[in-house]
Amino acid sequence: MARRTRKYADDVPFSITSMMDMMTIILVFMIKNMDAEGQLLTQAENLILPISTSKLQPTEVSLTIVIDANNVVVDNEKVVATSDVNEQEDLCVQPVLSTLYQKRKAEVDQRLRQGQPADEAGSVVVQIDKNIPYNVMYKVMATCGIAGVPSCTSSEGEAGYEKMSGYTNVSFAVMEKNGGEE
Amino acid sequence: MAKEVKKPAKPEEPDLLPAMGLFTILIPMLLSMAAFSKLAIVQVNLPERSMMTNSDEQPEPDQQALNLSLGITNDYLVIGARGGFQPNVYFKEMWTFRCKSDAKLITHAVEDVKAAVESGHGPKCKDGSEMDKEKYLYEIEAIELWAIHKESEEDPGRVMWALYTNGGTAEEPIADSAYVNGNNDFLSLPGEGPMGLTPPPALKKPAAGTALATLTPNSARQLKPDVAAKNLIYPLSAYDLIAKDLIAIHTQFIDLEDVDNIIIVANYDTQFDKIIQLMDRSKEAGFSKINLALLGG
Repeated sequence: MARRTRKYADDVPFSITSMMDMMTIILVFMIKNMDAEGQLLTQAENLILPISTSKLQPTEVSLTIVIDANNVVVDNEKVVATSDVNEQEDLCVQPVLSTLYQKRKAEVDQRLRQGQPADEAGSVVVQIDKNIPYNVMYKVMATCGIAGVPSCTSSEGEAGYEKMSGYTNVSFAVMEKNGGEE
Repeated sequence: MAKEVKKPAKPEEPDLLPAMGLFTILIPMLLSMAAFSKLAIVQVNLPERSMMTNSDEQPEPDQQALNLSLGITNDYLVIGARGGFQPNVYFKEMWTFRCKSDAKLITHAVEDVKAAVESGHGPKCKDGSEMDKEKYLYEIEAIELWAIHKESEEDPGRVMWALYTNGGTAEEPIADSAYVNGNNDFLSLPGEGPMGLTPPPALKKPAAGTALATLTPNSARQLKPDVAAKNLIYPLSAYDLIAKDLIAIHTQFIDLEDVDNIIIVANYDTQFDKIIQLMDRSKEAGFSKINLALLGG
């Protein structure tokens, strides 16, 4: 008996709807993934983070300081050249302090508007290139600690902000050892 | 007249081909931008402003406290406590690069790299090419401190070699954790030849079934054949020597009030990477409250 073959119409169009669904899911996943890490990770050729065994995951922090070979960047704004920080004698870096003070004031104001306590210490994430000398890191850290005052020479805060603390909760961003694999 | 029944038109599929084209471009672009390394943080709490400025009102130092400090200079690491210091842990600084040209690891002594750069060349890769002398620092994969065994201050010393677990692959081994024996001693010997840069023949890889441990708590194990075969003899890290001492100190003085405190003291020009490595070793040893200070500052 001759085998019956099913006849297909010649004009069946190629359906790419299912492929589109798959692509949409991948795209949404990737955009979301990038957004989750975007706050912390600044991709730059001259910023290589050190590798650490720390497994602490970064929490959401509003302020990021980046120190690379060329600049100290506070919240995506170039504040001072790294070489200037390295060469200065004083422990306090005035341009960094001025920027941090304004940010800290804004944070305190916002907390007060929301009815939250404003005496909590500020938190900052610091991304430092692994080759940056300790001298630069130490000065920027010291400046973070005293960011409750407007200038390096003042010992008291402005009226209304006398008890404002600086950014004393510092988190250094690092790359997890072995890419985070167990 | 018979009513003409209109056949419902077959719904037309929208033309998705342009959208597909867009997606095909977007996905590789996002993939190329994605960072597959996982980020983590190391936390430090800085002193409050009031504590930094009121230098006149500082409390008297507690004689019973441990007052532990960990110093790093360009030549050695040293642990200090209660005004005294342990013997210096001398090291030879080595930079391991991953070359862009061949994607392979190569380790150079810092002096050699600096000499090459001063003479107008970049550090050499395994394939014979040179790294960019302006940007070679960004190709450093790891800053290693090889422990040096010295008989006296004047002795240039010899590199110590030890048995390590392999954190890499068979083709590209990477020293991960140093093994210790039942007495908590590293399986190590000084190297041979100039500066001890040749591994000592007497230091052999233990056979499968040997009982060993690493510095990690509860890590005692009998070597499995595949692990024993993968182990490697590599220069002993000064960080590991310090980590072992820190663990011993934390265990010995566990009853003291400031047993979790440590001050890391470093030179002006110490790279940030070394500070992070010392913080890691301190935290792993149980020192959760880390303070930072400048050497001579």
